[in-house]
Amino acid sequence: MKQDYFSANNIKYIDYKDIDILKRFLNPNGKIMSHKRTGLTAKNQRALALAVKNARFMGLLPFVAR
Amino acid sequence: MEETNENVEASSRIYEVAYLLSSNISEEEIPVVYGNLKDLIINLGGEIISDEMPKMIPLSYTMTKVVQNIRSKFTSAFFGWVKFEMKSEKVLELKKKLDLDPNLIRFLILKTVKENTIAAKRFVYRDSKRKMPIIKKEDQNETSLPIDKEEIDKEIDAMVA
Repeated sequence: MKQDYFSANNIKYIDYKDIDILKRFLNPNGKIMSHKRTGLTAKNQRALALAVKNARFMGLLPFVAR
Repeated sequence: MEETNENVEASSRIYEVAYLLSSNISEEEIPVVYGNLKDLIINLGGEIISDEMPKMIPLSYTMTKVVQNIRSKFTSAFFGWVKFEMKSEKVLELKKKLDLDPNLIRFLILKTVKENTIAAKRFVYRDSKRKMPIIKKEDQNETSLPIDKEEIDKEIDAMVA
């Protein structure tokens, strides 16, 4: 069975400061990729969405990118 | 499950405050503002676990903040964070005090865990994926090698005869 990125790397807590990791789950417009494309578990997908939104608020990630 | 147990025992939680300091503050004053913020947390009964010095970062979009009827725009700011343990009632007081701070563009208070949350290992998944087929190929070679030798021996015998 295919494991998702975070459980494969043993990441229990998805941190909003880790922009390098978060960026691989964004499309070129800065939108969060769908559950289908990321292949994450439902739990990790929710945690990822929260982390991205926190990062956006702090100006680490864009709300909209060209 | 662990988090709920901690709540019952100590009635204090792990929090993290992330903040953006205005870029109008000069580089030398940053440690002062940073020190004041840590003192504020300690005065409210917080125990600092880990933190990072505010660093100048470019913002992904322009932010505005109105201080004394002057609207100022920011395209870069000093980003820093502090992780600490504090009683849950005190955090509201901390929020009220931070709201009044003119140096902060914005801040974010989060519930978090005690462990270091920044992942040290990166791109492990891709590497392990690449290694997998290579290992399988080696296994196949080992099993096929002895058969090859016997065949070669037979071939040599046939040549000699």
